[in-house]
Amino acid sequence: MQQIEFDTKWTMVVDIDKCSGCGSCMVSCQAENNIAPMEDGSNKLKTLTWMLVYELNNGKEFPERESAYLPRPCMQCGNPACVPVCPVVATTKDEEGGIVSQIYPRCIGCRYCMAACPYHARYFGWFDPIWPEGMEKALSPNTSTRPRGVVEKCNFCHSRLMDARARARAEGMDPNKLPDGWYKPACLEACPTGAISFGDSKNPEHKVHDLIKDKNAFRLLESIGMDPQVYYISRRDWVREQSDNHLPKDKH
Amino acid sequence: MGIDRRTFIQLVTGGVVGSLFTPVIWKSLDDAAIWSQNWSWIPRLKYGQITEHATISKFGPSPCSLMVKSVAGSPYVAKGNAENEMSKGGVDAISAGGAQLLYSPSRVKGPMKKVADGKYESISWDDAEKMLSEKLSAVKGQAGKLAIVSGDATGTSSEVLSAFAAGMGSKDCYLMPGDEQAAAVALENMGGSGQIGYDLDNSDFVLLVGADAMNSWGSVVRNQRVYADKRPTGGDIESVYVYAGPFLNSTAAISDKWVPVAPGTGSIFSLGLAYHMLNAGASASVADFADFKTLVMSRFTPDKVEKAIGVAPGVMAGLAKQLMSASAPLVISGSEFGQGAGAVDIIAASALNMLLGRVGEQGGMKLLADLPLAVDAAASRAELSSRDFAGYLAAVATDKVKAPEVMMAYEANPVYAMPQATTMAAAIAKVPFLVSFSTWMDETASIADLIMPNPHSFERFDDAQTPYGVGTTMLSACAPVIEPLYNGKSTVDVILSVASGLGIDLGYESVEAVLQAKAEKAGADWDSLVEGVAYVSDSTESDSLKFAASVLSKAVTMPKGGEIALAPYAKLNVGSSTMAIPPLNCVTVSKFELQGKDLFVQINGKTAKKLNASEGSTVKLSGAGGECVARVHINEGVMNDVIAAPLGFGHTAWDEFSRGKGDNIAKILTVGTEPGTGMAVWTSSFVSVA
Amino acid sequence: MEEKRASKQCGGVLAFFIGVLASLVIGWWVFPQVIYSQKTQPIDFSHKVHVEGEGMDCESCHTFMEDGSFAGLPSNEQCAECHEDILGESKAEETYVNEYLNKDVEVPWLVYQYQPDNVYFSHMAHKGFECTDCHPDVGNSDTLPTYYENRISGYSKQTMKMWQCERCHAEVGTSNACYVCHK
Repeated sequence: MQQIEFDTKWTMVVDIDKCSGCGSCMVSCQAENNIAPMEDGSNKLKTLTWMLVYELNNGKEFPERESAYLPRPCMQCGNPACVPVCPVVATTKDEEGGIVSQIYPRCIGCRYCMAACPYHARYFGWFDPIWPEGMEKALSPNTSTRPRGVVEKCNFCHSRLMDARARARAEGMDPNKLPDGWYKPACLEACPTGAISFGDSKNPEHKVHDLIKDKNAFRLLESIGMDPQVYYISRRDWVREQSDNHLPKDKH
Repeated sequence: MGIDRRTFIQLVTGGVVGSLFTPVIWKSLDDAAIWSQNWSWIPRLKYGQITEHATISKFGPSPCSLMVKSVAGSPYVAKGNAENEMSKGGVDAISAGGAQLLYSPSRVKGPMKKVADGKYESISWDDAEKMLSEKLSAVKGQAGKLAIVSGDATGTSSEVLSAFAAGMGSKDCYLMPGDEQAAAVALENMGGSGQIGYDLDNSDFVLLVGADAMNSWGSVVRNQRVYADKRPTGGDIESVYVYAGPFLNSTAAISDKWVPVAPGTGSIFSLGLAYHMLNAGASASVADFADFKTLVMSRFTPDKVEKAIGVAPGVMAGLAKQLMSASAPLVISGSEFGQGAGAVDIIAASALNMLLGRVGEQGGMKLLADLPLAVDAAASRAELSSRDFAGYLAAVATDKVKAPEVMMAYEANPVYAMPQATTMAAAIAKVPFLVSFSTWMDETASIADLIMPNPHSFERFDDAQTPYGVGTTMLSACAPVIEPLYNGKSTVDVILSVASGLGIDLGYESVEAVLQAKAEKAGADWDSLVEGVAYVSDSTESDSLKFAASVLSKAVTMPKGGEIALAPYAKLNVGSSTMAIPPLNCVTVSKFELQGKDLFVQINGKTAKKLNASEGSTVKLSGAGGECVARVHINEGVMNDVIAAPLGFGHTAWDEFSRGKGDNIAKILTVGTEPGTGMAVWTSSFVSVA
Repeated sequence: MEEKRASKQCGGVLAFFIGVLASLVIGWWVFPQVIYSQKTQPIDFSHKVHVEGEGMDCESCHTFMEDGSFAGLPSNEQCAECHEDILGESKAEETYVNEYLNKDVEVPWLVYQYQPDNVYFSHMAHKGFECTDCHPDVGNSDTLPTYYENRISGYSKQTMKMWQCERCHAEVGTSNACYVCHK
């Protein structure tokens, strides 16, 4: 499929060395995106975690062990595997900025996209979202609620992009040239260790423009060609090495 | 002309054909398709003006200043407040879901009295206050009959409580255990005054001994923000972090180096470092320097230290050298799980800061001045912090001290969260009249005789002064973001009203007046505090300290070795000592800590072999006061002969999001007494494994 | 025999056309009335009184916020800026103040252009259009139009359909990407 090149490219850069795995991003994500709380959060096959913090380790024995945390949102791939497999065009990558859309009323829940996604970033709603009595009053106006039976995923808090564009219009600015920091996903706003950076990587005035060129920047499974819009940074060799399925003799 | 069958069919056919030229079918189909997307069983969103209000949440181990976003007046998401110096724009994993917690199934919706075990009846606030007043008037003026415990170490509300206790003739007003207790006792022994603070912001080399700065030590969110600022993404590291502790926790994971040290042996580690520094010529012009030097050079030689805590002499020497060559080094010591450390841990780490010449220096250890008290009769912060609630309860448990007639718990859940929980809960059970001011139906509320719920953080006036660990004196305050959803009443208002009925004059009419007076006495502007800006003061106390060598000499004991040590850890997403797993946090809990209802503890492969355990196998851990059942996860980030175990599970009250999940590790903590200071300590707990 | 058949055929054609005609009448005249239920607004609000009488303009109440969001319908808080007490003698105002404002209940206005939750609509992005391009022209009327609610879908008759949004976007050359409108 033809890869569309956009003028803006919303890009997340996660500094793995700074992530303390505290979970604030995951909580904030659920609040912003109206994900109903799940009583058995340990059943990871049924939970909905648009943002999920993985635990990594260097595989060595005590005392050489090191560990790290890797927050994983949707990668908003430049060449997404999920989009072409969707039989009903419920997910597309067609909007300026490159965020992969997911339209819940159109989704028929076939889950082809989930099978296709190499990052396990997509989730199937196994249950109807049920909030404890009264908690539906704390729903965010930014994301529509979904019934069971459809697939959902992180969209970089897309409504916040729309809000930022409205603000730009109100101030007489170009809504497609947002200043750095105007559009911030909820996870970034919640991260107390500043591990998440976000912006338009095609705009030289945005911090991420340079960050993605950092010598320690990498993406997950780069070799399979998904061209993700999420980058990671780590000074630690073992973390960078785990980002792809290298053969021992490969150079990386 | 009669209608025969044939005519009828023709009529119908005509009707059908005609209908194809009308919108009936198409419109109905279209509308039906739209109807099918209505999902009436799923809640609709609420729209309206989006507003942001500053508030303070006290769900986590330290106060966090937030900006709460509301839609048409209903809070829906909380973010950090970047304008506030106390938490510097960070938000913890509990507070991030603060809006949803407004509607937590665990909220107590109004005052209640116990009618039978586990059965409560709603009563009016008037009746509740009358009931409390009656009980209190019977014990007024008699020492030992009223005990108060507050889980709020920073709020002026605790001042009100301690002043009220004083007015009642009780000396038993305590804070829930925290690192500030050890620090206050340590400071007293070192001859200092004020509050120990650490200027992390200006340090370029931070050694954390035990202190889990990203989860439980000090002002956690602020620590995280400072760490973030000192290590800009894509930029150069401006401050090196080294973590010394038994478990590769998240502080260790994001530090530049992890030095494995046996649990609860922070003081030995620090004094082991002091040995190398003294050897390299470090000194301090302090009265008892000679005693200190003699003590360290004789008892904390590299080989003895290695034998006691398992750190090689080369590692110690290297670290001492790094500290001495850094331009603004800082040593911080504390419990690995935010409570139960001894004063000696703090004294030993302070000794290093003194040897490094870092006391009172920028980027060093500070002695912060207290803000003036708002309520005259209140105990000073140092005094209140140094009181030993665990020691008191342990004495009640063993009948060394008579149980009080009335106990009041404010923002505290001692039945669940105290060390050696079963023993302490039994001590609390001896109290004839237990009052809980909890917002939540926690373990303490669910056995209380009277529950008088305090409103949720977003619904009340509150303030926070100089949380333990920060490097400057400061004050934050907040006003309600929304009207109370339920029938709660500010505990301070309850106390003020009850006090005046009992003839105790605390000098104020309402919580708002108390907090405003606090701000005024501190020299802060109330309006800007409420808008979310913290008041910061540079005022400090004299920085002349002594080594308290005599205390160190008595209190530091070398572990016997050969036992399995417990290394508890606290993670913010799981909750805190006052908060069980919040609804939104369930999915954030690691599969290495909880699966279904099973708690997981972590040991390394070598220890597993020794204990005959394997991945997933079930073990029973027994401490002095109780036992826990857990399954094993093999994690090479745990020291040999150590079991790392998460706190915060095994709740028996609350709601379906936390109740019955895992086991409460606090049950197997063993409370001991620190020689030299006499305070209760529990960082060094050993367990037997079966 | 022949005649009989012809007359029968004729009768058949007639019945057929009667059927067609009945269908057309029902389909074009009865059905559009039956499918909508008619609802009246909770308060008989007069825009005219506010606009002509008090010299207010649309933006006095239907304002944009600084951040570019649109306030939509005014809340009690805004109305109370003037209507803290009953100002005039109208029944509608009396109802509003007594039944809503004093009881601290927001008026459940029926929104003619109500869109579902999965639509993100930015008034700021459509500021170049006249309000009345999409909304009923109520500014100078004394009464509010009847609200027609579709009995099947539950939406207002005036709610714009997706194809209408898309057609206009296509005509003015704006993107029709899913996320331009959906959330």
